[in-house]
Amino acid sequence: MRTSLLLIPLLPLAGALLNMLLGSRLPRRLSELVACGVIWASFGATVLAALQYSQPVIIEAAPWLAAFDLRAPFSFSLDPLSLSLCLMITFVCGLIHLYSVAYMADDPGHVRYFALLNLFVAAMLVLVLAESLPLLYLGWEGVGFCSYALIGFWYREEKNATAGRKAFIVTRIGDTAFAIAIIWLFSLTGSVSISQLNQAGATLPLATVTALGLLLLIGATGKSAQLPLSVWLPDAMAGPTPVSAQIHAATMVTAGVYLLMRLFPLIGRSGTVLAAIAIVGGITAFHAATCALAQRDLKRILAYSTISQIGYMMLGVGAGAITAASFHLLVHAFFKALLFLGAGCVITALHHEQDIFRMGGLRRSLPATFWPFLAGSVCLAGIPLTGGFFSKDSILAAVWQHGGPLYLSLYGLGLLTALLTSLYTFRMIYLVFCGSGPTPHRLSPLMERSLLPLALLGLCGGLLNLPEYLGHGLLARFLAPLVVEPHALSSATELALQGVAALLSLLGLGLAHQRYGGARRAQRLQEAAQPARGLQAFCLHGWYLDWLYERLFVRPYHWLSRTLWQQVDEGWIDGNLDRFANLLGRLGQRLGSWGTGRLSHYLLSLAAGAALLIAWLAWGTP
Amino acid sequence: MIVPLEQVLLLAGLLFGLGLICVLVWRSNVIMLLIGIEIMLNAAMLVFVAASNHWGAADGQVFALMIIAMTSAEVSLALALVVYLHRRRNTVAVDEFRELHD
Repeated sequence: MRTSLLLIPLLPLAGALLNMLLGSRLPRRLSELVACGVIWASFGATVLAALQYSQPVIIEAAPWLAAFDLRAPFSFSLDPLSLSLCLMITFVCGLIHLYSVAYMADDPGHVRYFALLNLFVAAMLVLVLAESLPLLYLGWEGVGFCSYALIGFWYREEKNATAGRKAFIVTRIGDTAFAIAIIWLFSLTGSVSISQLNQAGATLPLATVTALGLLLLIGATGKSAQLPLSVWLPDAMAGPTPVSAQIHAATMVTAGVYLLMRLFPLIGRSGTVLAAIAIVGGITAFHAATCALAQRDLKRILAYSTISQIGYMMLGVGAGAITAASFHLLVHAFFKALLFLGAGCVITALHHEQDIFRMGGLRRSLPATFWPFLAGSVCLAGIPLTGGFFSKDSILAAVWQHGGPLYLSLYGLGLLTALLTSLYTFRMIYLVFCGSGPTPHRLSPLMERSLLPLALLGLCGGLLNLPEYLGHGLLARFLAPLVVEPHALSSATELALQGVAALLSLLGLGLAHQRYGGARRAQRLQEAAQPARGLQAFCLHGWYLDWLYERLFVRPYHWLSRTLWQQVDEGWIDGNLDRFANLLGRLGQRLGSWGTGRLSHYLLSLAAGAALLIAWLAWGTP
Repeated sequence: MIVPLEQVLLLAGLLFGLGLICVLVWRSNVIMLLIGIEIMLNAAMLVFVAASNHWGAADGQVFALMIIAMTSAEVSLALALVVYLHRRRNTVAVDEFRELHD
């Protein structure tokens, strides 16, 4: 148990180190083999750990931070939540690594790429398995760094490097709040161990818990790209597509949700925090869905859909439904990785074209991509009986069950979002795959084959946690020792809620067909040639959040920096120093002119000085 | 004691002043500068001897002997330098030697 648990994060780390140190000397095939091999070996270790698993275990691998009262060893905890996430992460990342081998086949920077990709997985696994908050923070910053380096992977283009920096800086705002929360928790309880903190939470005053919860929520919004810190994710598309898949599905953006789930026993006591989480999630889900509706870039649609789906997970956490949220997290990871890898196939096949209005006809020309992509899309849209349908519905049901005007209106917003989700998903399908368009070039079979397992998992993901009336929820029973779930809904209510959700997703499909199906597609293509206006432009630019932040923060900051630089530093500090130095220089020249070099002058001044001295001695002193 | 101390001091002061004026005014010849310095040194020596006599202590006279020895050494060295300088630059004017400044 101990060995396999330790191997889970250490194997990817070892792969990353090996590729970093020796990668450029190894043959290309070998370095790819190492990168993929360690992830699959880590998956194997996870499976082994899952087979041996009987109850939550905590192991201490090595001492780490120890000073005064602070004890934060490298301790890993394996419980149902971290185990299920590890299984998902290693499996999905393994497929993404395989896909990357084909995707990056022509890129000369493959060593750096695979080293960072492995390190990314290692950091995420450390984050998931961490038992103490500093260790979790180590993984948290690790994924932040790797996302920065991978988003800006093709750093020679200014735009990509800027996107990487933006991701790093925006998430850093949330990280700061998280760090404050960790330090505060330590000063309150004298412990940084998550299990101890969750127990000690009951003794803290409610107002403190609320403040801590809000700080953690800010941390989570940064990492999970929720409002108001969601602006980095759409730009994060600058990186290679498999990286996007990894960021969106398995690593990085789920970290925020995971943090809230991990510390739920602590923060769940405060109703305010839960309401804030739910509101942030609900509004973000709606916001991102409207934005996705107007995007033209295939990857940006998917990016906004991720923000929206993570919003659902936050909504689930806010409603106290940890099982539903983690269920959606797992299923979402499968279908979102699938969609991104599919999008990577489409974009590669079309010579790096990303505008969906310039695509079309791929249903016939790229069938091996089309069918898995369609599977991912129906999951995303929540078409009945797919994994996405069950997981999204379990969140909505939990929100409904929570009751109260706030949660009921959030439920309404969630339903509206579900409708929009289905609409933008099928808009994408119709535009990319139907009609006619340019002929794609052939794809590597490895890329298309790695979609299949994900498609199966996405479609059948519902089996992970079937609703009560269809049998027992596997995940719910697995997570049961961790979370206190509200008692299950009656089958009739649950069926009714699912019926509404199913109806809405089908309605979205109908609307999309109405607008983009058949001959009407050509009409939309013509319309798309015009620049977007009004509401469409508003959604296309993501509610002008970037514009707003530019005005509110970036420009005042630039102004402040320029003032400090030009007025204060150069003008005041440097200016005064310059003036002082000039003064001394002039004084020196004045004194220097006394040194004429004529001996007689020196003698005269010597005599005069001596005379003065004698005069002072004779009459000056009392 | 035939001559009172005050008068000797006065004479020494006069001698010192004359030497100083010689040093300050006579710029055209380094030898005159050296002579001026010698006069000033002798004034000082006179003060030592007078003071030694006045207080009946031998130190001052010993010091006077030392000054005589030192001056003779200094003059022989300085004159050698003057001869050397005159050979190099063909002048002994004081203000001509200003290489350190330029």
